[in-house]
Amino acid sequence: MEKRLIKKEALAGIAKKMAEEFLVWAPVKKEDNVLFVPLEKDVEPFFAYLNSKNAPKNVFFPHTEVMMKFTRTPEGMALTSEENKADAAVLFGVRPCDAHSFVLLDMLFDQEKYKDEYYINKRNNTTVISLSCVKPPYATCFCTSVDGEPVSDIGADILLTDIGGNYLVEFITPKGEKLAKYFGEDKADAAADAKKKEIAQKAKQAISSRIPAHEVKPILDNNFEHPIWATIHGKCLACGTCTYLCPTCHCFDISDEAKGSDGVRIRSWDSCMFPLFTKETSGHNPRTSQKERWRQRVMHKFKYYVDNFGAIACVGCGRCVMSCPVNLDIRKVIEDISKI
Amino acid sequence: MQNPYVPYPVIVDKIITEVDTKDIKTFRFKFVNPEDEAKYSYIPGQFGELSIFGKGESPIGIASSPTQKGYVEFTVQKAGVVTTALHEMEEGALMGLRGPLGNSWPLEYLEGKNIVIVGGGFAFTTLRSLINYMIYGDNRKRFGTITVIYGARNPGLLLYKDELAEWEKRDDLNMNVTVDKGDANWKGREGFVPTVCKEVAPSKENSVAVICGPPIMIRFTLPVFFDLGFSKENIITSLEMRMKCGIGKCGRCNVGSKYVCKDGPVFSLAELDKLTKEY
Repeated sequence: MEKRLIKKEALAGIAKKMAEEFLVWAPVKKEDNVLFVPLEKDVEPFFAYLNSKNAPKNVFFPHTEVMMKFTRTPEGMALTSEENKADAAVLFGVRPCDAHSFVLLDMLFDQEKYKDEYYINKRNNTTVISLSCVKPPYATCFCTSVDGEPVSDIGADILLTDIGGNYLVEFITPKGEKLAKYFGEDKADAAADAKKKEIAQKAKQAISSRIPAHEVKPILDNNFEHPIWATIHGKCLACGTCTYLCPTCHCFDISDEAKGSDGVRIRSWDSCMFPLFTKETSGHNPRTSQKERWRQRVMHKFKYYVDNFGAIACVGCGRCVMSCPVNLDIRKVIEDISKI
Repeated sequence: MQNPYVPYPVIVDKIITEVDTKDIKTFRFKFVNPEDEAKYSYIPGQFGELSIFGKGESPIGIASSPTQKGYVEFTVQKAGVVTTALHEMEEGALMGLRGPLGNSWPLEYLEGKNIVIVGGGFAFTTLRSLINYMIYGDNRKRFGTITVIYGARNPGLLLYKDELAEWEKRDDLNMNVTVDKGDANWKGREGFVPTVCKEVAPSKENSVAVICGPPIMIRFTLPVFFDLGFSKENIITSLEMRMKCGIGKCGRCNVGSKYVCKDGPVFSLAELDKLTKEY
């Protein structure tokens, strides 16, 4: 598909122009963090960011979302509406690792038998514009170990790559091409393309943190009861920060909130790190301690997801590594498992 | 396309208190929209999410058989928030029902075989669905002998007492109802389910055992069937886990790579052997 060039300083203006017409999620400075938020008038998007504090999964899978509404009737509580409409939107400037996560989440939410309309509607109506990492943002980045690359169009409808002074704009999908009019008329030449390839190669080589993500699969297949599981969780606080920030963690709770005669059924993020996650009404809990919960987290990402969907449920963004309050580093956990 | 999270509206048509302790009741639901009944086409062994807006949802095995038209039944113990609210409901009340969910008893596999049903206590509900399905009209011809071994702690805790009496009258059902301890009026068998299984000693030839009960019953019943020569492929059971979505997305009911809600709840022992023991 077609490729164009835009001046680097034009990017914020393009995002703001789009935001006049539809919902644009863009990286914005919030105190010390960068977060993806709906871009409001007079707010500057910040594209020189490393990566956002939170994964942008909340665009498709909000932290809390109303699934349906209900009201009291003489016979009992009755459904009044389903809340699964999604307006057209653009997710502007996500990092390739996070765009990769959407492809992984699609596998779960958009299965043949059970389709999760809440996720799918938002996903279908949102155009994803990825922003290549021309330099690895953090020392904790390990995307190349989990089938990603710092310059990658996986999960993207449009890919932007800083080739020095200009962004190379690549329209990856027809959905992305529909936004071509916002990106000027300056067609990219072969030199721009070559420059991008060179940058992509360098960026890939610059990712120095590596984990044996594929190599541990056969080990995990056969070592559910290995003593190593008793050695990982010791300092874990069960705070759930890792799963909250993770771009691929998708576990959720469904609960009802009612006030007076009206109420809503909502879903909200939940976490396998929490003791109550699997606790049954009888009091029985199949995962009795943090040991089992940590095993579940590792197994889910590096074995169960591979068994079910043929893909590792980790994109190597390193958020869980950076934000864990006790420095429990999944890279080391995987490394240790690879040696048993 | 039906949004799988939205429950069908149903009316509580009939409530039957099953046990003397009054904490287990059977709820018969009728669909508010008649066309929903056809959409709720189920197979014995599947479950539904009972949905009470304002309280939440609870996954419960379907106790009626698809041969029973016009309604669907669930036998529910009062235990948590949702089931307590359900027990407080009256006939005529409006609520919701999702599903049918999960796999089912493997009817095709069971056809042409001798069936041994083993149930303990409150875990008899989806077995009742299966029995009623197998003995309905011409269905009966599709199965060999049917042996039922069902036990409860005492006579007051037996479910479906009227139906048990009807089944006793049939000559194409080998009924063995037992209680751990009888009372003054109890004229039936006394003894634990594993012991009765040993006494009844069903043949392994062309047979499948379908077993549901509390963990302690399962633990002592399985060795009896191993001794009788049943293979792990021919011992089938149903698992329970905490569930929310019921469609393999919310992430809490997995045993290894399998979701109990979507890939189960029914597994053979041979299949369970391949899974982790985290349930």
